[in-house]
Amino acid sequence: MMKVSFPHMGNAYIALSSLLSNLGAEVIVPPRPTRKTIDTGALHAPEFVCLPFKVNLGDNLRSLQMGADTLAMVSGMWACRFGYYGRVQHQILRDAGFEFDSILLGRDGIWTVYNKFRPTVEGNLALGWFRAFRHFKRKAEAVDKLEVKTRQIRPFESERGSVTRALNEGLSLVHEARSLSRIDTALLEATGLLDDVELDKDREEPLRIAVLGEIYAVLEPSLNFDIERRLGEMGVRAFPVMSVYKWLFRPLKTDPRITIDEYRARRIARPYIAYVLGGEEHQTISGTINAARSGYDGVLHLYPFTCMPENICRTILPRIESEFDIPLLNLCLDEHASPTGIATRLEAFVDLLRQRRRKRAPDTPV
Amino acid sequence: MVKVGIPRALSYYRYFPFWKSLLEGLGTEVVLSRHTGKHLLEDGVRHCVDDICVPVKLFYGHVLDLSDRVDYLFISRLVSIEKCEGDTYTCPKLIGLPDMIKGSLTGLPPIIDFVVDVQNMSLKSSAKKLADSLGVTGGRARSALEAALEVERRYQAELLRGVPPEEAIDIVLSNGGGNGSGSKAGPERTGGGDLNIALVGHEYLIFDPFISHNIPRKLERLGANVSFITQVPSAVVDRELARYPGISWSYEKELLGAASHFLSRDDIDGVMLVVGFACGPDSIIGEIITREVRTEKSPPLMTLVLDEHTGDAGVATRVEAFIDLIRRSRTRIPAPGPEPE
Repeated sequence: MMKVSFPHMGNAYIALSSLLSNLGAEVIVPPRPTRKTIDTGALHAPEFVCLPFKVNLGDNLRSLQMGADTLAMVSGMWACRFGYYGRVQHQILRDAGFEFDSILLGRDGIWTVYNKFRPTVEGNLALGWFRAFRHFKRKAEAVDKLEVKTRQIRPFESERGSVTRALNEGLSLVHEARSLSRIDTALLEATGLLDDVELDKDREEPLRIAVLGEIYAVLEPSLNFDIERRLGEMGVRAFPVMSVYKWLFRPLKTDPRITIDEYRARRIARPYIAYVLGGEEHQTISGTINAARSGYDGVLHLYPFTCMPENICRTILPRIESEFDIPLLNLCLDEHASPTGIATRLEAFVDLLRQRRRKRAPDTPV
Repeated sequence: MVKVGIPRALSYYRYFPFWKSLLEGLGTEVVLSRHTGKHLLEDGVRHCVDDICVPVKLFYGHVLDLSDRVDYLFISRLVSIEKCEGDTYTCPKLIGLPDMIKGSLTGLPPIIDFVVDVQNMSLKSSAKKLADSLGVTGGRARSALEAALEVERRYQAELLRGVPPEEAIDIVLSNGGGNGSGSKAGPERTGGGDLNIALVGHEYLIFDPFISHNIPRKLERLGANVSFITQVPSAVVDRELARYPGISWSYEKELLGAASHFLSRDDIDGVMLVVGFACGPDSIIGEIITREVRTEKSPPLMTLVLDEHTGDAGVATRVEAFIDLIRRSRTRIPAPGPEPE
């Protein structure tokens, strides 16, 4: 039986492992990346490649040690380095002495990947893919709903960490659900868990901060020191511009909302970035402008060290910051970033935002 | 006369003769920024984002150097520089270069944003757009364009002969007109050294004597004949690339093709790969070269990473050590198997 594994990206593992296990493969999910994962990845990776490469490599190493014999990764010929991750990472792992099979979606072509599961799927292959895709979509939607709900209630929790505990419990319920109806029940149960968390509703309207930048830095808690949770527990409502759901379904083009959103983002960003650069640059630029227009208190820009598209945004954002009058904090992340350093800068930023709001509306205490 | 400033960095090394001849043909005066120096680099570093690659920081320095003495700044946007099947781009930083400059520097003269997107739009139509924006039309624009393309062709021919870009630019532009005698005026490369070293890396890094600490010169002084990446014809690059498909960055394709070409040649004694710190595409291509291209039979390969803090002595030491090791391995009689105890 094929033992497939893939690197982590936020909560994407829930939907992805459901897709693969419905195709008859045994899925090996490596433990959530930690600082140690990043360090082992950095040890084998090229020196100044971007941080997601190192994290993914560390994940792959763990999966191989756990017995995976097939590694899956998306791949393509883009201006951004991400398209070359799979090719180089798998070569590095093979040079390190591991033997495994690669699935490089994009580079291998859709039919090669499609046929790869012929031996593992029972019965009709097309039907197998259809069934797997339905599970995949249902789980991705369920996870997205839970993430959105968490974001709304976390700033109000009475006991610090209680919302995160409920969310993790809920996510594992969804992860373990094996059929479509079970997924629906799990979602209901998980929503109930979040509803049961004791909230302090009397608190003032929390600060609203848009979190944007390189997608992996925004969505992967191990890389950004769980910034969404940190902000939530500081009483701030964090809105990531991207989500795992959008990231998974954008290339599939099955959800028109995402396609329209992409189109709008490109149009808003065009005066600042005239050409496609291959990353999330349009979301970063348009996200900042949208945040300013819809009255957010601040913007947090996250990107890995040496990220090419985001570095271009980084040079342009200060101009947008002054043009649209919205406070902006850039955080550059690499394997040497320390949690204390990030926490200090976040606290300082949030303090400044509180003062700014107080100045603007002196009557309403924050 | 309208003064147009061209920064002596990045795409300068590939297109300057073309642009100069085109702009002069369109009735403007071309001003070039000064050679890279300490102050110019410091200026660039101060105005640029911290973690971007050195060549872009240098570009900022050159733009600032020009900013108060020209009427227009000429900044290229290289989207694709070759016509081929499938997708092709340059590095995102080269695609977004005018956006970066516009977005982060203030008090600049108006920018001429020259798009090179050969895949979707010929160089001619890009040039025509430029002529229109300068108000030159008809026969004059056409003849300027023809002359510029001719100059660029001669420039590429000089590069293929192994003339470094700065010298080739002098040769091509001093001859003016296009009488065809330029290709003979270049200094013949002396083949006096006993080693052949191939220098592979971006031309905007290797041929900027300040930032590369003049590596070609250092190698020549140590008695090596230097072959440049610019000497590898595109046909050879394409042939080599057939073995390593799936790369879309044009500059890196050249790097990979040239490295593969040099690493498989018997008369090359060593290959030096020169990359800039924080260069995105090179971090991937460097790894592909060392892992996929290099074999046990290929000549020694050394990777040298340069940034704005690199010291001259450090580069000199590493270059000398590389040459010494190649010489030493030659004097030893090659043992057929593992050495006996």
